[in-house]
Amino acid sequence: MNRQSGSSWYIYIIHIFVALVILLPLAFALVSSFRPLNDIFKYMSPVTWKTFLPTQITCDAYVNLFRERGFGRIFFNTFYVAFVCVIFGVILGSMAAFAFAFFNFKGKNVLFLLVLITFMIPAELVAIPLYSLIDRLGWVDTYYGLIIPVIANGLVIFLYRQFFMDLPKELIESARIDGASWIGIYWDIIMPLSKPVTVSAMLLIFIQHWESFMWPLVATRSKEYRVVQVALSDFTTEYATYWNEMFATVIISVIIPVMVLLPLQRYFIQGITHTSLKE
Amino acid sequence: MIEARDKKVPYLFLFPAFVGLLLFKLYPIFSAIIQSLHTRIFLGEELKFVGLNNYINLFEDPVFWNSLKVTLKFNLVINPLQIVLALLLALLLNANIKHIAIFRGINFVPVAVSVPTACILWKIMLSPEQGVVNSILVALGMNPQPFLTSSSQALGSIIAIASWKGVGYWALFLLAGLQEIPPTLYEASSIDGASRWQQFRVITYPMMKRSLTFVVVSDTVANMLLFAPMYILTSGGPNKSTNVLMLESYNSAFLYSDMGRASAILVIMVLITFIIISIESKLLKPEY
Repeated sequence: MNRQSGSSWYIYIIHIFVALVILLPLAFALVSSFRPLNDIFKYMSPVTWKTFLPTQITCDAYVNLFRERGFGRIFFNTFYVAFVCVIFGVILGSMAAFAFAFFNFKGKNVLFLLVLITFMIPAELVAIPLYSLIDRLGWVDTYYGLIIPVIANGLVIFLYRQFFMDLPKELIESARIDGASWIGIYWDIIMPLSKPVTVSAMLLIFIQHWESFMWPLVATRSKEYRVVQVALSDFTTEYATYWNEMFATVIISVIIPVMVLLPLQRYFIQGITHTSLKE
Repeated sequence: MIEARDKKVPYLFLFPAFVGLLLFKLYPIFSAIIQSLHTRIFLGEELKFVGLNNYINLFEDPVFWNSLKVTLKFNLVINPLQIVLALLLALLLNANIKHIAIFRGINFVPVAVSVPTACILWKIMLSPEQGVVNSILVALGMNPQPFLTSSSQALGSIIAIASWKGVGYWALFLLAGLQEIPPTLYEASSIDGASRWQQFRVITYPMMKRSLTFVVVSDTVANMLLFAPMYILTSGGPNKSTNVLMLESYNSAFLYSDMGRASAILVIMVLITFIIISIESKLLKPEY
């Protein structure tokens, strides 16, 4: 569509408008997070240029977050959970996909249907009944509870299966003739060929856990196991008047995924759109 | 396809992932159904079978009916709104203009913004007394608005905040759908003198039905179960005007310790969601 470029100025105007709607609130948060608390309130109303641009710059908000509000621990928890989920999620998912893509076995269709069903079940739906289960296992308020229930991921199995199906079968047959074991074929032949889909899967899992809110909220009680999204939510009640710090939490929560996503955009988009376009 | 000599091989590869999927994704659904038929005997650990009592109690409870109404009202507005905006945005991002990569990159930013983050950012900006949005409204000569603190505006404010975060994400899928359409189709129809609108109706819409169906269904599921904004921004208030079923279920479980009631609400939500997405898929089914 819109192949002619002569009449495209109005498209630029709409694009710029959309870009402003997306970016201005984030820019406002960024600027405000570097201001002294008093300044934010002092210049908020009536609106002048001082509402949006700082007269003084300070890193107090960020320093406070790490010194007083325990954001170091919160950061560690979030990265730890995401890291473990990425590693094990990729291994478990690709192993299951290996079976689906290369083998014939009894119950294959039923089991694959199960995978499809589980990846359409959102985390919010299972959070409450899942709590009863981890309560019985004694995992409430532990890393086990935060991590183990969310490792297996139907979406990742699906992604790898799509990718594996396009790989030539001869690879495997010749490796079998050379006497390679199945685990050897999976780990030494198939996985090294699957780097692009592995990047996609890792990104999807990382973002999912960085942004996950309801499960960590349900599964943990104490500050010791707080992750970033739950910490943000607590912040609105505990320190509601510290606007500079709240803006700083917003920036911290956004900047990590932005830094990971922007350079790897392509892989993320390939990852999510594969699931919607193909059977 | 390969037949392993040792029949156990594929199952060994499946085993670790399926333990997780069965135990932590499927079992909770069944356990919700079972728990919805039970009630906890006073502070004890024992469960008593009560049949459909939890459901009957819900149907007699005005709080439940209010939550059902709020959930449906919320979804009736937010789903069509997000899908139309996402479609328009996808068409815009598919425009063949210079520097489109920059705009696509900007549009990608909300993917990095989690729902709780979007909520906190907008909560501060929509603050009735000192929020920047009201300051701007006043500067423009308008009246300041109560936004999240009024029962008539809270749900609408949540819809706006959730859409600010969500539309760009759904547009990614639709953009991918648009890009699958071969450009030759448009060229051929241009030669035949088709207008833009005709092209959209005859080529674009039918060709991207698959990604559109995916977005419609996924968006509906996500919004039916949306929880974070109501929990963070309004706690279901003011006056229970944003007390969606998901929040009522959460509160039943963790505020009133009534797992039976919480599970019954979940089961009802799953049924309603299932009915809605079945209708949606039927309506969007390709005619050919």
